[in-house]
Amino acid sequence: MRKGTRLRLVLRDLGSGFAFASMAVSGQLPIWSLVLYGVALVVALAGRRPFANRVTLTALLLLAVALTLGTNVLAGSLNLVVAACAFAGLISAQRLLSTPDAATDGQVHLSGLLMVAGGAALSGELVYGLFLIAFGVLASIALALGVVESAVPEGEPVPVRAVMGPLATGVGFAVLGAVAFFILFPRLNWNMIGPSASPGLGVATAGFSNTVRLGGAGTIKGNPRIVLRATLSPDPEKEALDAYWVGRTYDVFDGMEWSNARATSDGSESMTTLRPGRENLIHQRVELMPAYGARTLVALETPSRLGNAVANTQVGSRRTQIHELGGGEVRFRDSGISYSYEAYSLPPGASGDDIQDLPPEEQDALLSLPEGLDVRVGQTAARVLNGERDPLAAARKLSAWLQREYSYTLELSGDVPDPVADFLFQRKQGHCEHFATALTLMLRTQGMRARLATGFFGGERVTGGYVVRAGDAHAWTHVLVPGRGFITVDATPPAHRASQSPRLLEQLINFYEVVESQWRDVVLDYNFRDQLTVVRSLTRSHEVPKKDEPPSRAPPPRAFGAALLAAAAAYTAWRLLTQFLSRERPLEATRFADAVEAQLASARITRVDGETLEALDARLARERHPLSPALAPVARRYLEARFGGRPLQQGEAARLLTDLRRAVLTESQRVASEGTRPPQARAS
Amino acid sequence: MNQPARALSPVPSLANARSAMERIATQLGRAVQGKSSQLQLVVTSLVAGGHVLLEDVPGVGKTTLAEAMAKACGLSFARVQFTADLMPADVLGAQVFHAQTATFQFRPGPLFRQLVLADELNRAPPRTQSALLEAMAQGQVSLDGATHALPAPFTVVATQNPVDFSGTYPLPDSQLDRFMVRMSLGHPTPEVEAGLLVTRDGTPPLDAVETVSGPEELASLRSFAAALRLDASVADYVVRLATATRSHGDLERGASTRAVLALGAAARANALWDARDFATPGDVHAVLVPCWAHRILLRSAVQGVSARDEAAHLLEEIARKVPAPR
Repeated sequence: MRKGTRLRLVLRDLGSGFAFASMAVSGQLPIWSLVLYGVALVVALAGRRPFANRVTLTALLLLAVALTLGTNVLAGSLNLVVAACAFAGLISAQRLLSTPDAATDGQVHLSGLLMVAGGAALSGELVYGLFLIAFGVLASIALALGVVESAVPEGEPVPVRAVMGPLATGVGFAVLGAVAFFILFPRLNWNMIGPSASPGLGVATAGFSNTVRLGGAGTIKGNPRIVLRATLSPDPEKEALDAYWVGRTYDVFDGMEWSNARATSDGSESMTTLRPGRENLIHQRVELMPAYGARTLVALETPSRLGNAVANTQVGSRRTQIHELGGGEVRFRDSGISYSYEAYSLPPGASGDDIQDLPPEEQDALLSLPEGLDVRVGQTAARVLNGERDPLAAARKLSAWLQREYSYTLELSGDVPDPVADFLFQRKQGHCEHFATALTLMLRTQGMRARLATGFFGGERVTGGYVVRAGDAHAWTHVLVPGRGFITVDATPPAHRASQSPRLLEQLINFYEVVESQWRDVVLDYNFRDQLTVVRSLTRSHEVPKKDEPPSRAPPPRAFGAALLAAAAAYTAWRLLTQFLSRERPLEATRFADAVEAQLASARITRVDGETLEALDARLARERHPLSPALAPVARRYLEARFGGRPLQQGEAARLLTDLRRAVLTESQRVASEGTRPPQARAS
Repeated sequence: MNQPARALSPVPSLANARSAMERIATQLGRAVQGKSSQLQLVVTSLVAGGHVLLEDVPGVGKTTLAEAMAKACGLSFARVQFTADLMPADVLGAQVFHAQTATFQFRPGPLFRQLVLADELNRAPPRTQSALLEAMAQGQVSLDGATHALPAPFTVVATQNPVDFSGTYPLPDSQLDRFMVRMSLGHPTPEVEAGLLVTRDGTPPLDAVETVSGPEELASLRSFAAALRLDASVADYVVRLATATRSHGDLERGASTRAVLALGAAARANALWDARDFATPGDVHAVLVPCWAHRILLRSAVQGVSARDEAAHLLEEIARKVPAPR
């Protein structure tokens, strides 16, 4: 194997590894394909090519893997795109372990490109971009070294070091190309495996599931990620909002979990009216962030209308339908990484709901109690209420009692058989769900209708709008007051209602949110549709056409300008590239001659304009220069290597140079000693 | 003609080739003293298979040199004095009627020798000149439909007087192209001239020349030289030099393709002096001026010595400007 080949192969294999990693970071590839590829890469990097002699056998193995993947796809256990990506990885692995000839090299690079495209389909994360750039750099260096290798005559070592310098330009092009690929290649991100493949720190909330398991959501209280941005009008102009953002409510409690009596409604439209509208509605323009991780629309209590729903998916933003579910929940039909919509809410203190509006099963559910509820719950409630019969007053009394007698904690109580009894009579501490559940059930034991509401509490003012964090997730109680509807009563101690994450962490997260938001706007959301928009805006004239003239069918001058610019850029790049590629690379013998001349220059022997080493050697011989005998064999060897077809052997150049250096040193010492020696008077 | 003094082996190795060339040059040096570099060039041209144009005033030893070459190499020799009334048949030979057999028989002219000295070539009328030059190019003579091969190796040494052009027919430029090198011997140095006076004891200088080679050895030397390696970069260099002459502002006409081939052949033969089996840019430099100076045509076409010097000067300048391969 020639010198330089090894380096090129290592670069090639590493490039392929990065291309595979760009798919692997999506976390969607089957684990066995990760393992197989990893092993192949390690073996290849160690310089072993065990498949070189077993081409047919390993190709058959690939066929078997393809069949397995195909069966999995048909059975529905594997997504087609994931299967294709995994297969591309395995093809690359097989090629890595085959004979490293020109055809294999091409196939490795091609499969690398395929894997990078697969990575774009599977993942749009920042780290994918880094892997893409790494692949671009390594693959292009490997390719360039391949070109150099084929240009160097057989037997001559590859001038790796000399090539590496000029290659920097090529690497610059590769990085630019990779960045362009990353920006221009439409990211698909089809949300193939999980319900959500949201970028960044992952899903932040437990989401709005159909049930709430008591004690299930306490962990998110310390999570400072922003799940919602909203601009309100009229603007309350408060730094910290003490508002309830309601997502959905629950009316049935089975002792462990809250759920809804009424099932999903079928209707699906772009705007849902929940309650009759009034004057002075609070308008909200809401954006649900990727960290939200659910499709439930959230609005300030009490929501009246929700709509104008837009889902931001990987392939663009589009209007979408929403539909209403039980518990007042309104949900997006389509999934996206983020959503935006408008909401109208009744001002605080007003409610349009009334007992008459509710279907009978829901009315019953508002009073239902779980089977086997601890009798002490009702006894305690009766004792605390002490004859109070007004639902709102009773709720406030119980709430005040709970806040006084019980303490707040984020520690989970563990999986206990009766969490309500455990909270009320054993631990006497819990989080919002415990407080809200206890209040709701205690009211029901006294014949007052109440339900559990979940959503967020609070809102932090940020640049004209408000943000709500995952840690603001909250649960509270709706008590039904005859004639007024549901009124919010919060049993949780006020200090513990909003997010309890550390301030510094919140600031850090704010910074991250800004970066991620930019990332989403500039890169992830910069999709095919946006590319078309950019192209259209470049080619579309903004001038209003005059009425008398028929509209011209020819493209506007802007189009020609843009085309000209693009052509100029392409031409410049091509020129630079061809110049770089056609630049003469110094032969080894020439570099040797350069080194010889450098040594001679140190002995103050310089060649005159245009003089070759051969001519210099002849001149020194004519002048009977003391260094001529030392130079002659060196110059002769150079000529043989350069023009005689007898390349320098390994280490020969160094040896010849050492001999010459010794001669130069001796000569300069001789000159110095003659120069310093005082002229001796000769006695005659 | 003297027989070779000792058995001459063909040329199997570089060292043999070089020593053979040195042997010949040494013998030439016995006849023409103090001109070692010119003699070296003559031998180079001989080995490269080229014809030589000696351009010099009378009396500097042109004829002696040609005769010494024939003697040292053991070649058959003829001298033709070119005059205004010389006819082609005087050079090539003629069909002579044989009365006894009543047939025409070809009687070869003086050209049918291995080394021909064409003295004062420019004095002959163009017909005769072109007959000679055609023979030089083809290596054969066509007469009355019959082709007669010239002996091998066949070499012409032509002379012309660069000063006295009156009443002459200057060689057409295309014909000059057929000479591999043009050179002049020049007057001997004063020391050599003085030495001639002292040592010459009436014996002609040619008597000192020994035959040290033979036609077979010369032929094998020629094929050996023609097979030497000419690296692609050196070939490219030669072509770049030719291109430079063709686009030079002071030149009416640059080097021809034949000039390119001749330079390559001469450079190869020159490499043998250094016992190298490959030619270098240095070899190209060594033979560039004698090879090309007579082939390029200056715009201000002045005949004579000044034009010759001018051409040499231009070629040296071009050689400095065109970068040699490193």
